[in-house]
Parts: sequence; structure tokens; C-alpha cells
Amino acid sequence: MMESVYQQSALRSNLFVVWNELIKNMKFLMAYPIIFVFWAVFPIFWFIPFIFQGQAFVGGLQSASFGQITGTEEFIPFIVIGSVLNSYVNTLLYGMGESIRREALQGTLDYVLVAPTNKVYVLIGKALSESLSSTMFAASQLAISALLFGMNLTLGVMLPVFLIVILLILGLYGLSLVLAAFSLLYKQSHDVSETIGYVFYVFSPVRYPLESLPFWAQIFGKIIPLTYALIIVRSIMLLGASLSSLYFEVLALLAIDAVLIFAGFYMFNWMENKAKKSGAISHY
Amino acid sequence: MKKSNKDYRLREVKCATGFNWSNLKAELRAIWESNIKAWKLDFAYPVSFVRQLISPVVFMLPFLLYGLALIGGRYSENLAQLVGTGDVVAFIFTGYIMMGFIGTAVWAMGFSMRREQWFGTLEAIYVTPASRLGQILGMALHSTVHQGIGTIIQFIFIYVTFGLVLNIGGILPALGIFALMLFALYGFGIVISALSLILKEGWIVSDIFYSIMTILSPVAYPLIVLPTLAQQASAIFPTAPALIGMRSFLIEDYIPEVVGNVFLHLLVLGAVWILFGVFVFHLADRYVRKRGMLKKF
Amino acid sequence: MVNNKTSEVFSIQTINLTKRFAKKKHRGVFGFLRRNQSKNKNKEKNDVTVALNKVNIEIRPGELFGLLGPNGSGKTTMIKCLSTILIPDEGTVTVNGFDAQKETSMVRASVGMVVGGERSLYWKLTARDNLRYFASLYKMHKTHAKQRIEELLENFNLSDRADERLEDYSTGMRQKVAIARALLHDPPILLLDEPTLGLDPNFARQIRRQIKELTEKRGKTILLTTHYMDEADKLCDRVAFINNGNIVAVDTPNRLKAMVKETELVEVAVYSPPAGIEKHIRSLLPDAKVVKLIPGNEDEGNPSRIKIIGGTAEENVGTIIDALRQKNVRIGSLNVGVPTLEDVFIKLTGAKLTEGRMQ
Repeated sequence: MMESVYQQSALRSNLFVVWNELIKNMKFLMAYPIIFVFWAVFPIFWFIPFIFQGQAFVGGLQSASFGQITGTEEFIPFIVIGSVLNSYVNTLLYGMGESIRREALQGTLDYVLVAPTNKVYVLIGKALSESLSSTMFAASQLAISALLFGMNLTLGVMLPVFLIVILLILGLYGLSLVLAAFSLLYKQSHDVSETIGYVFYVFSPVRYPLESLPFWAQIFGKIIPLTYALIIVRSIMLLGASLSSLYFEVLALLAIDAVLIFAGFYMFNWMENKAKKSGAISHY
Repeated sequence: MKKSNKDYRLREVKCATGFNWSNLKAELRAIWESNIKAWKLDFAYPVSFVRQLISPVVFMLPFLLYGLALIGGRYSENLAQLVGTGDVVAFIFTGYIMMGFIGTAVWAMGFSMRREQWFGTLEAIYVTPASRLGQILGMALHSTVHQGIGTIIQFIFIYVTFGLVLNIGGILPALGIFALMLFALYGFGIVISALSLILKEGWIVSDIFYSIMTILSPVAYPLIVLPTLAQQASAIFPTAPALIGMRSFLIEDYIPEVVGNVFLHLLVLGAVWILFGVFVFHLADRYVRKRGMLKKF
Repeated sequence: MVNNKTSEVFSIQTINLTKRFAKKKHRGVFGFLRRNQSKNKNKEKNDVTVALNKVNIEIRPGELFGLLGPNGSGKTTMIKCLSTILIPDEGTVTVNGFDAQKETSMVRASVGMVVGGERSLYWKLTARDNLRYFASLYKMHKTHAKQRIEELLENFNLSDRADERLEDYSTGMRQKVAIARALLHDPPILLLDEPTLGLDPNFARQIRRQIKELTEKRGKTILLTTHYMDEADKLCDRVAFINNGNIVAVDTPNRLKAMVKETELVEVAVYSPPAGIEKHIRSLLPDAKVVKLIPGNEDEGNPSRIKIIGGTAEENVGTIIDALRQKNVRIGSLNVGVPTLEDVFIKLTGAKLTEGRMQ
């Protein structure tokens, strides 16, 4: 009788772990409604200065030289898309690390780790819930921005955008796994995720076109998944490009995703073993 | 009773107390030691320490590169029409200096009490006879110096990559304005720290204030591009008049977008914000001690 | 504070000290949705926990006073009211002759507090840095502080590790630093909240010895909360029981225990007791409430047991041994159960104090 508990199909039991982790994290989020509202609305305030700056510098809402570099003279939608996509980086990278830190602080991390399941599925559950909430936040920010500044959010545009967002999330999953691996051993994992956040912010075209960076920095920017996501989404939403015409960027994003996810799985399993051996887990 | 208590004298303490010079000196020393403690804690997290030092550069870059992309060079006709100077690099650099110090007020000071709560040391600090405001001012001192170093790094970066023309003779008066502004900003920081002590999601309050203040400060644009109501609202924060005053001294062709006596404005703001801050903090202090909220977060 | 009737001087005095807290509402995960629903219902009046209810305590200078009670009984609230961390709702608190509400900073200067133990320090700083920082908050003169810190580090055997970060310390060592911090400004009064909680026996013993020395040699007044019965029994001059915010009894440990003398227990293991031995012993011990023979199985190595409850064990033991000898009964072992403060607490409140015991 006892054995049958564990003899469910591996896939089913793993999905069960993912599902429960997802539900648990969504409940955490719902327990703090103010935080929820904050992330859904407030990040808009962070890019408002860039809109005023644009107006002050060019005296209107269109800039010819901006158009020469980016293909669109309208800098507001450019900034909005940058902010919304960048918010995924914030929530996913910090969210995963925070989620693990929270378990460690509550003392539940040890129990999660001794449970007879592959921890990667727990992390996938965490990541799913983070991406679900991030998407809710992003959608809300985008909708408010569209109301304020007028942007094309038709289904034909949003479907390919959604696909790219999923690809972006996958790459960030991989990176989060690497971070999670770090956080098992290195206590200030927060430092690592924050530093990565800085690198993304500077080397990806979040607030300015990639071409504004010096040449070497552009090359560096091209190994960051966010860079491709931003280029593709802006091309679709602002220049009316089709997904097929952007095949190079899509393939590059896929390749980076694959590398990051593989590295993430590998590192996490490796670090988990190491952490168990050295007993570093509870020392927060 | 087995113990004799004949040499026991009530109402005798060994700490400095009362209104006198030695007590004032002791309070100043407490501020200084809070500052020293903050530096030591900083050094305990070296990665984060270094990151904080370069963050002024990191977060100024978007304003610069975006600005340059918008106008396709570093001279903006439109900006020149608005405030007399078209050099966006000088304009953004002088403006961005303020961001770090807004952070001083909102995060370093505003969160000084909360941080102690996270460490678990808040109650231990509360039972000491030193003023709690000293704790907050110690953090202000630490953060101001910290931001100062960040600003110097920022200046070197700008100077090396873009070359920067500032009016050297204007630096001293600009620093004077800056010092005046700090007082008002510290008062504001005390208000935030009082709020963060009471409110459970204090960081949200801080973030909201930070965002409002950055929008209402003419960091990367002159005040006149803001809606009228926002322009008027900016007068209650010290950063807007200070920036306008500092730019008039630092940038050669700059024509202040709002005319008025910056010194007087800042003096009044400083007095009001500090008095208001101390008052609100006193209320918050009593409130948390009534409700027993020092331990919770 | 001078009491008019006896002109006795008290280090700590509370009069009708009352503190209430709003009860925490557990709304659950979707509580923010439920909040609106509960508005429709009439608001419950008893949303309030009374943490301290008209507490009157008088602690004399140099006294080591124990406050005993189960978790949530109001011990920590009491300490926090005395140390000005909490403002009482009603009543007055006088500490070292200062009114805790009006002369707050004088009370703070008079008191050294240990609450929250090892967590209340900066783990990323060294012991010396921690003490140095707090010395400044206690507004000590720089040179005096330096001297005092060395002295305390020496007293607590921390000198050779004083420049290590606390994160590398053991719990017991951190607790020592916390106590050293409370002593920095040489306060006449110490408030210690569970000072030995979670320490290993060796450290707990060291800390208790130090506490004892502080009253006996340095004349400190100490208020100590604990839920280790034996600790309070051995250390304290007087003990107060607190339960649900009410002070149930205040007295010396011995006098408190005298209240439950009748529950003293003697248990004798005997081999082949003759019939009627119960009756015989009962006739010799008129004060005993219970005399009971519990038959054993000697083949399996379990002798029979005679339990005697009531009267004083000291007097009973001799009589019992004599009676058994008289009847030629072989005695295997004899155990005397002396009442503990725990027994007193149970008698007074009907509640159990704690499962915790001093290690």
C-alpha cells in the first residue's frame, strides 16, 4: 500500500508539485493586496520623467533623429515598451531569489529540500507564479499607458508579442535557476540578482536604442535575452513588422533561452548537492 | 532582606542627561557613531557597497543616452529656448546630482528605523537615552557622504566620456545652496521615517514619495514642461528651487525658469520641513509605543 | 518612589499598570475580500487582549525579582512597559524614582535591558563594535566607554574574540554580549527577559552565576522573566506569578512552595509487602492524604510501590522507614517529590506554567 503513493506517474506527481507551488505563491501575493496594486500601477511613474525629458529636448512628441535610429519618431511608446518588458526582469529575477530567501527566513526551505521531489519543479512552480503575476502587472501597466498615450493593442499585434514575452520569460527562468543555485550557497544572492538587473538595464535597449551604446557594449548587449525581446516587440508594435521578418532575432532569443535553461538546470542540481554536503542551507 | 540597600540612591544615573553642553556633545557623538556603524555595515557587504557607488552612473546613463538619441547630438534647440542653455549633458549631470540625495532622504533616512527592525536591534536602540532622531541623522550623514562619493565618480565618468563645461567659480555658491537644501531634505527624510515606522508596507510609501519627488524635480527637464499644478507642487520640495539655483551658478548661459529668491525659499522650506518632521516623528514614536509595533514588520 | 505608609524605597514600582492590545485579526489569504463582508456584521466588542491588568509590583533596591508565567502571560509586555518601549494605557510606572511617562530618558538611563537576546545585536559587526556603538547611545564619555568595554569583555570572557563578527559566535556568546551591552552604562536596574532561553547548560549556568553576582556584589536591582521554574527558584529573592496579565501571587520561593506542602510525595519501592501494610502506615501518618500500595511483579524485577501524599516529606520519611523495618520489609528505593514553583502555579491558576525545564 505504502509504495503505491510514490508510484504515480512521475510526470503527474511533478506537475502536482509545480501546481501546488504555483498556488502557494499566488496566495502569498493575494495576502498583500497593496503590493499587488502597487506593481500593477506604480511602475508607470518611473518612466514619466523620460516623457517630460523628451518634450523638453525636442519640443513635441516626435523626434526626427530618434526616428533615424529606431525607425519610429514617437519616443513615448518606445519608452513604455522598454519599461513594461523590463519589469519582467525585476519581478522574475528578484522574485525567485526573494521567494527562496523567504523560505529560508521562515525556516521552510529545509523542509522543501528534504522532500522527495526534484527541487527544480518547485522552482518551476515559483517561476510560473512569478511570470503569471508579472504578466498581470505588465498588462495593467500597458493598458494604462495605452489609455494615457494611445498605443495599438489589437489582437493581431498582441498575439506575437505574447509569444515573445513567453520566450523572454523562458530565458529569465534559466537565469533565475542559476541565481537560485547561487542563493543556496551564497547568502547575498540578492547582490547577484541586483547586479544582473543593473547589467540588463544598461546594456539592453530599455530606455534608449542599442545604437546609442558604444560598439563593444552593443556586442555585450547582444547576449542578453531582453535585448532581442525589446527589439522584436518594438518592431512589431511600433513598426508593424511581422514575426517572420524578424526570424533572426527570434532564433537568437531561442538559442539564448536554450543555453540559459540548460545551464540553470545543471547548476542548480550541482549546487544543491554541494549545499547539502556543506550544510550551508540554514545559515541565513 | 539579606542585602543592605543603604548606599542605594534613587534618581542617580551615569549617562549624560539634561540641557547642558556635555549632553549635547553626547548626542552628537551618538549621531557620529550611528554614521560609523552604517559604514561598517556597508563594508560587511562589499558587492552591494561597490554597486551603490556606481549606481549614480548606471541610472544617469539612460537619461543621457536617451536624451542624446532624441536630439541626435548634445545640443538641444528646444532646451536652449526654454532655459538658455542647450548642452543636455551639463543640464542632465547637474540635475542628476539631486537623485542620489533624494534617495538619502527617502531610503537611507526613511528606512533607518525599519532597517533596525530587520536587524532586530530597534528595541535595543529604543531603550537607550539617546534621541532617536540622532539615529536618523547618523544615517543621513552616512548616506550624504556616500552619495557625495557617488557624485564624484559620476562627475569623473561624465568628464572622461563627454567632457563637461561647468562654471568653476559657481561651485562654491552652488554648494551653499546644496547645503541649505540638505536641511529641508533631512526634515523630509524624518517625515518619511516616521511614516515607515507606522505603516506596514513602508517601502511602498517611500517609493511613491521618491517617484513623486523625482518627477517634480527638474532633473532632466526644466520645470516649465510640467503641468502648471505640478510646477506649483514642486515648490514644497527643496529639490526644485535648489536645482534651479545651482544651475544658475554652474551653467554659463542658464536662465532660471522660475525667478525668485532661492536662498529664502530654501531657508523657509528647511525650517518648515524640519519642524514638521520632528513633530510627525514625535507622534509616530508615541503611536508605535502605544500600539507595541516596534517588533512587528 | 517613596511609599507614604512604610517610607520604603522602591527601585521599580507599578500602580494599576494596565496594557491592552487590539487582537490580531487573521483574515486568511483572501482576507482583503472578506474585510468588506465583516463590516456588515456588528463589530465585536471584545477585539482587545488585556496583556496587563492592574498590575501592582514593588521591587526593592538590590532585589532579584523573578516574573514567572507561561508564554503570552504578559511578562514581556511588563518589561517593555518598564523600559519605556511601551506606553501603558492606565496606571503609573516608576523606575529608579523616575516616572516612565514623563521622565522617559531618565528611565532609559537608569535601566539596562536584555530582550530578544542574541537577535538584538548586529551580527555583521564585532562584539567590540557593537558595544562601542551602544555606549555612544548610552551617552557615555568616549574614554570612559572604552575602559568600560574592555572591563566587560574581560568579565564575560570575550576579550580574545572581541574583534570577531558576531555571526561567528555561538548563541551563548552572543547572549553574553547582549548582557554586557545592558551593563555598559552601569545602570542600577536590569530588566532581563528570558536571559537563558535557548542556551546550552554550560552557558546558562555561567549567565545565572553572573546574574547572581550582579545583585550580590554590585547591588543591582534585577527583574528577570523566565519560564524555567528551577531557575527562578534558585536565583530569585522574590517571585511573582503572572497569568493572563494578572499577578497571581508575590513572595519568596520558599514561602510560595510552602503553600503546597500538602502535596509532598514519598514513594517507596518494597519487596514482598505483608498484607495490611497500607493500613499500618496510614495509622502512623495522620497528616497523609493518600497512602496507596501499588502491587508490582517481583519476578519481572518490578517491586511493589507505596505512595504517600500529604504532610511534610521530611517528617514522613523517618516514620515510613521505621514502620517498614518493623515489619521486616526490604526497601528497594525511596523517592521524595518536593513541590516546585510549577506545582504552586498550577494550584493557584489551574494552568500549567510550561513544559520547559532548566537544563
